[in-house]
Amino acid sequence: MNERQIAPPALAVWILSHLLPHAERDNYLGDLEEIFRNEICPSRGVKAARRWYWLELLRAPITIGDRAPSEQLVPPIRGDGPVTNTLNDLRFAVRLLARRPGFTTLAVLTLALGIGATTAIFSAVYPIVVEPLPYPHADRVLMIYEREKKNETSFVGFTTFADFVRDSKSFEALAAMGQGSATLTGGDQPALLESQRVSPTYFDVLGVHAALGRSFRAEDDIRNTPRVTILSNALWRSRFGGDSAIVGKPIVLDANQYIVIGVMPPTFENVLAPGAQLWTPLRYEVSLPWACRSCRHLRMVGRLKPDVSAAQATREMETIFQRITKDHLTDYSAIGVAMPMLQDDLTKDAKPVLYALLGAVLLVLLIACANVTNLLLARAAQRSGEFTIRAALGAERGRVVRQLLTESLLLAAIGGTVGILVAVAGVKALVALSPAGLPRLAAISVNGPVLLFALAIVTLVGVAFGLVPAIHATRADLHEGIKQGSRRTAGSSRVTRGALVISEVALAIVLLVGSGLLLRSSSRVFAVNNGFEASNLLTMQIQAGGKLSNDTLVRRFYEQVSDAVKSVPGVESMGLTNQLPMSGDYDGQGVHIQNHPSPNPADDPSPFRYSVSPGYIEAMHIKLVRGRGFTAQDKAGAPGVAIINESFAKKYWPAGEDPIGQRVSANDPVKGPWLEIVGIVGDVKQLSPSNSKSDGIYMPETQWGYANNQMSLVVRAKGDAAALAPAIRRAIWAIDKDQPIVRVATAESLIAKSEAQRRFALVLFEAFAFVALALAAAGIYGVLAGTVTERLREIGVRSALGASAGDILGMIVKQGLGLAALGAVLGLIAAFGLSHVLTSLLFGVSPLDPATYVGVTCLLGLVAFGACLVPALRAARVDPMETLRAE
Amino acid sequence: MPANLGELEQLVLLAIARLGDDAYGVTVRKEIASRAKRSLSLGSVYTTLTRLDAKGFVASHLGEPTPERGGRRKKHFVITAAGRRALQRSMLAIRTMARGIDASWETP
Repeated sequence: MNERQIAPPALAVWILSHLLPHAERDNYLGDLEEIFRNEICPSRGVKAARRWYWLELLRAPITIGDRAPSEQLVPPIRGDGPVTNTLNDLRFAVRLLARRPGFTTLAVLTLALGIGATTAIFSAVYPIVVEPLPYPHADRVLMIYEREKKNETSFVGFTTFADFVRDSKSFEALAAMGQGSATLTGGDQPALLESQRVSPTYFDVLGVHAALGRSFRAEDDIRNTPRVTILSNALWRSRFGGDSAIVGKPIVLDANQYIVIGVMPPTFENVLAPGAQLWTPLRYEVSLPWACRSCRHLRMVGRLKPDVSAAQATREMETIFQRITKDHLTDYSAIGVAMPMLQDDLTKDAKPVLYALLGAVLLVLLIACANVTNLLLARAAQRSGEFTIRAALGAERGRVVRQLLTESLLLAAIGGTVGILVAVAGVKALVALSPAGLPRLAAISVNGPVLLFALAIVTLVGVAFGLVPAIHATRADLHEGIKQGSRRTAGSSRVTRGALVISEVALAIVLLVGSGLLLRSSSRVFAVNNGFEASNLLTMQIQAGGKLSNDTLVRRFYEQVSDAVKSVPGVESMGLTNQLPMSGDYDGQGVHIQNHPSPNPADDPSPFRYSVSPGYIEAMHIKLVRGRGFTAQDKAGAPGVAIINESFAKKYWPAGEDPIGQRVSANDPVKGPWLEIVGIVGDVKQLSPSNSKSDGIYMPETQWGYANNQMSLVVRAKGDAAALAPAIRRAIWAIDKDQPIVRVATAESLIAKSEAQRRFALVLFEAFAFVALALAAAGIYGVLAGTVTERLREIGVRSALGASAGDILGMIVKQGLGLAALGAVLGLIAAFGLSHVLTSLLFGVSPLDPATYVGVTCLLGLVAFGACLVPALRAARVDPMETLRAE
Repeated sequence: MPANLGELEQLVLLAIARLGDDAYGVTVRKEIASRAKRSLSLGSVYTTLTRLDAKGFVASHLGEPTPERGGRRKKHFVITAAGRRALQRSMLAIRTMARGIDASWETP
């Protein structure tokens, strides 16, 4: 056994050596260590002995120094050592809080709400903004995009990627990746799994490797060799029972056999495709048609060499890219490369939302603190007698300040502890509410760093709201304090409390403006015309894989599905499409117009491509503007046809020129094959109601070069759409029970989900604004109630001198509303300055929207009036005789 | 008024008396554990010693440091004359009170 192992726990020794009185420290620690080594370790073992040592720490006589006269030259004064002082202060504070349960509960709950909400939001901010990604030297991992005009970015084609790999010297490894899906069979039910197809270097770039078996090697990426796959830890556990001998075994994906070569560690967080359950090699070659330079569907990521900076690498890649584009002019529309750090790229959409929320929640925390400070000030006013006596008996100013700080820190600590419970619940709600795009969802939890943050907040808060009353209490003049009754107090405290209420109202206004703007945006968004009718529309995605091994079989399956679904009772009409609006699908297609040749075909329009069945446009209730829709006659072998939408028509055909009858090609700008435009339909929002990108082209599915192996089914119901789902599923599985059906959802829920980020911010802002308003109202109420109590005598005199109840009521309400009005003005000014941070979340509403500002001011006025009324009524009912007699 | 002794104080004083030159925290605790079958924390032993010291029943001096104690000094305790008197008085009281009730009370 080595020396360190049998030593007492160093931390406990350290604590003890600071807590024990100097005179006893040496021999006491020595005794403990001797018992530890000679008695406890030999009989109970080191582990138990260390536990014993900690228990001994709890029982250590940390005040013994005060009572050992034989050791002390100076007569002992009770409460002299710093530890004893603190303990005494603490004991006193506990007693004080316990004696006022109402005050304590209110203060603790207010703080718990503030600290809890802040901690919960921080737990989301931390992994996304602060914590580096869980990869070694994550700051060296960069995404690589082609940079378009207008600073947009696009993915890369495989050939471009291959050129970068060959020519660049800045990277340890470069990887390309694409999304995929695979149907796993061999268990009880077919399972549709999300997969990620990657270059064999992918895991080298991230710096994480298989826990079981091995990661990919270059030879795994060669076409026509046995297929291999790596499983995620979750899939390995759920589908294969954590079989430790899985490596080398075959599994069946999409009717093909794959050999499992590895399993990733449970801690591996795949931020680039969080849902991926397995990985397969990309297996591209530059000769493949889908590897072309303009086939920009691969994401590219790289790990910098240790001695290369991001700026150097960007310069090198820029040079390479300029050379490539010069050699292949017609393949590129991009003007350069963009290489953000992976973490920045991943979090760029979530950051504005999170910052806005963090700002909002800090405002709530500030309001909570202001409120508790107010409570403490009110109480300090009542305790001014106590402080005066303390001072008169010789307590130094610092000593009283320390006592008050101990009290406020204790209050903050209790509030913080309850607040952490609030935070744990809050994080659960946050994760449940979170929009699909929020990165690193799994890493959001109340963990060590978050707890540290909470601790810091508690300390800060405790000191902040303890100092204000402490300064007030000790500034009070001794004479004044003794002369005055406890009911009347120094005016300076009243001023401070007024100022606190004003700032509470101001902060609440800022939050109210924020949530008002979001609320109005939200209603604007849902009033947007999406171009199709969402009510009574059911959608789902069907897969055609496995034994449906060629296009003929797949297309026959779709036909059978169409027929079967049409005959389900309650179905009015139906259609199939390769991409479904609002579902997250995104499939653009370069289209060349026969009569409008352009110098660089890569710059030609790239509308959304919809490969649809006849009946889709009708089932969606998409408006037919001119021409005709598709019919059953527009099939393979018949003349190629297409339908475009209005925005596409308007953008690429000058006014007066009719697109109908003109021809376009989705393949070659010179040779075609050509599709005749037979109709123009209304625009459909593809991505979300607030996203204006909407150029679209529709083509009959049967005329496209290959069959899609997944299609979305849209069903127009006569009644409730959701109720039809089981019957439709049964009808499809009656045809082929091996084809998975996924993404079953009503169109209405898809639209709601496509706006999830705004909704997320809205719900939280509303909650924060509500809390802020309630706290501000409580603040106004508290100050007025305090004023009324302090001014009882004055009020009594006033009414004795002839002031009516109405006069008194008016006086108090005026005081309260005066504070509120001042706060509101300051808040509105602040909101004017701050609301632009929400711009990215707003839709159809200016950050300076007058209606919102007026609305929230009215709301606040109303609430403030309500808060004034209660103490004002009490004041109005004051009996002058009674108060005067009491004096 | 001469102070009376609590039970723990009695135990600690008796242990010091038994141990002679070798009475310090560790041995006092051990003596009480092995004879009286009372397992005390070192903290309670020290609290009692401090109280006895304050009453003038024990005196202490510092010994030499030893390696098994992490190089820290021992604090040796001896009973003072006042301590001896207080212990005798308290033992006598117990014996007197117990005498004559029943033989089993005197010698358990």
